[in-house]
Order: sequence, then C-alpha cells, then structure tokens
Amino acid sequence: MGTTVEDQRLDALFTALADRTRRDIVARLSEGEATVKELAAPYVMSMQAVSQHIRVLERSGLISRGRHRQTRPCRLEPAALETAVSWIEQSRRTWSERMDRLDAHLARRQAGEDR
Amino acid sequence: MTDDELVYRRVFRAPRDLVWRCLTEPAELQHFWGPHGMATPVDGIVVELRPGGRFETLMLGGSGSHRMVATFTEVVPPQRLAWVEPASGMHTTSTLDDLGDGSTAVVIHQRYVPQALRAPEARAGFLTSLDKLERHLARLVQGDRS
Repeated sequence: MGTTVEDQRLDALFTALADRTRRDIVARLSEGEATVKELAAPYVMSMQAVSQHIRVLERSGLISRGRHRQTRPCRLEPAALETAVSWIEQSRRTWSERMDRLDAHLARRQAGEDR
Repeated sequence: MTDDELVYRRVFRAPRDLVWRCLTEPAELQHFWGPHGMATPVDGIVVELRPGGRFETLMLGGSGSHRMVATFTEVVPPQRLAWVEPASGMHTTSTLDDLGDGSTAVVIHQRYVPQALRAPEARAGFLTSLDKLERHLARLVQGDRS
C-alpha cells in the first residue's frame, strides 16, 4: 500500500507548520496579504531565507502568491488549514464512534455467552 | 493528558481482560472496528500480537474498501497496545486502566507523525503547530478573514 494523495498533502501541510518561522508567517498572513519584503522585515534572517520558507508554505498549499503585480503578495489559503483541521476532526469521530460500538459489543458479550 | 495530542477516553463497564481481548482478537474486532456502514470480516483481520507484528484490517463498504496496515510497536497485555501506520505515519497508543470496580478506562492517544517529523525536536514543533492551527482556524471561521 502506497501513500495517498491526501497523505502527501497532509505531510506537506504538517511539515510546513512544523517550523516556527513559517507558523509566524501564517499567523501574520491571517491578518491580510503581504509581500515577501514586508514579511521579511521583522526577521534577522536574509530575504533569501524568508523566500525559502515562503516557497515551502506555497508548496504545501497554505499560501498562494499573486500573479500579476510585480511584488506578488502572499495570502493565506484557509481551505488548506481546513484540510488539516478536518483530518483531526475525522480521527476524533472515527474513534468516538468505534468506542460506541465497542461499548455495545461489550454489553452484548457480557449479557450473553461469556467465553 | 495534554491538549497537544488527540486523546479519546472512555470508561467501559467490563473487566480489563475482556476489553483487551476485544481490542486484540479478530473474532471480537470484526464486531466493532469498522466505521458505520462498513463490514470488517474476520478473515480480513491480521493480528500478530508482538512488537513488530502486523496489525491489518480490511473494511468493506458499498462505496469501496479501506485497508488499514499497521505494525505493533508495543504490546503489554492487558494494559498497553501501540501501533504505527507506515503509510500515513499515524501513531496510535491504547492504554487500558482497571478502575477496580469491574470497569475499564480506555485512553487512545493519536499522533500524526509525517516522515519529515519523526525527530523529537521536530515533533515538538508539530504538536505546537496543531494548537496554533486550531486557533487560527477558529479565528478564520469567526469571519476574521480579510
């Protein structure tokens, strides 16, 4: 069994979010779009390093960049965040429902034949 | 319990040995493992109950099938069972706690551990990111998007 496209997307998302600078960038973009130059301003690191982080975020789908203006501002893509959160929600639901069924199964097991 | 992992806790009115059997024997798993609307036939379940052993379930539904392929990483009867799903990097740990009154608390810890994040320091960052992610999303859902 190989990894699914969804697994690869989640890997990219969570990998992107595993870095503090990138989380910080995502947080700032949640307040509105910004250019790479604006995003780089508060950091000691080089513009190149910031651009590198932005490329990782872009590949993960968390942010997109404008095509037309020369500055190509970055903006957040809320749908990608929702993908990650819905994965969390789905796992929660799977286990919650499985526990319900186990509960019913245990009740039946103990009421009837106990091996 | 920390809030940076996915944790499910449930108390069952059943002795711990029985709950353990339900979680580890194909004949029992077939009755409750699969999601609603899907069957988990006993002959599609593989349980090699030892660290490194296989744990596989085949779930069949009207709209297709889903196969879970995992490897046990920890087997301590009747109290602790852990496995990892190599395809997704999902790590699941079940802890069974005998409450002394004939009931058993089961706690499921689940972590999503992508390949790139298996190093401990990276994992710490990942867990923090889940927190932040939920906060961000809450903000976005509240209509705070610009």
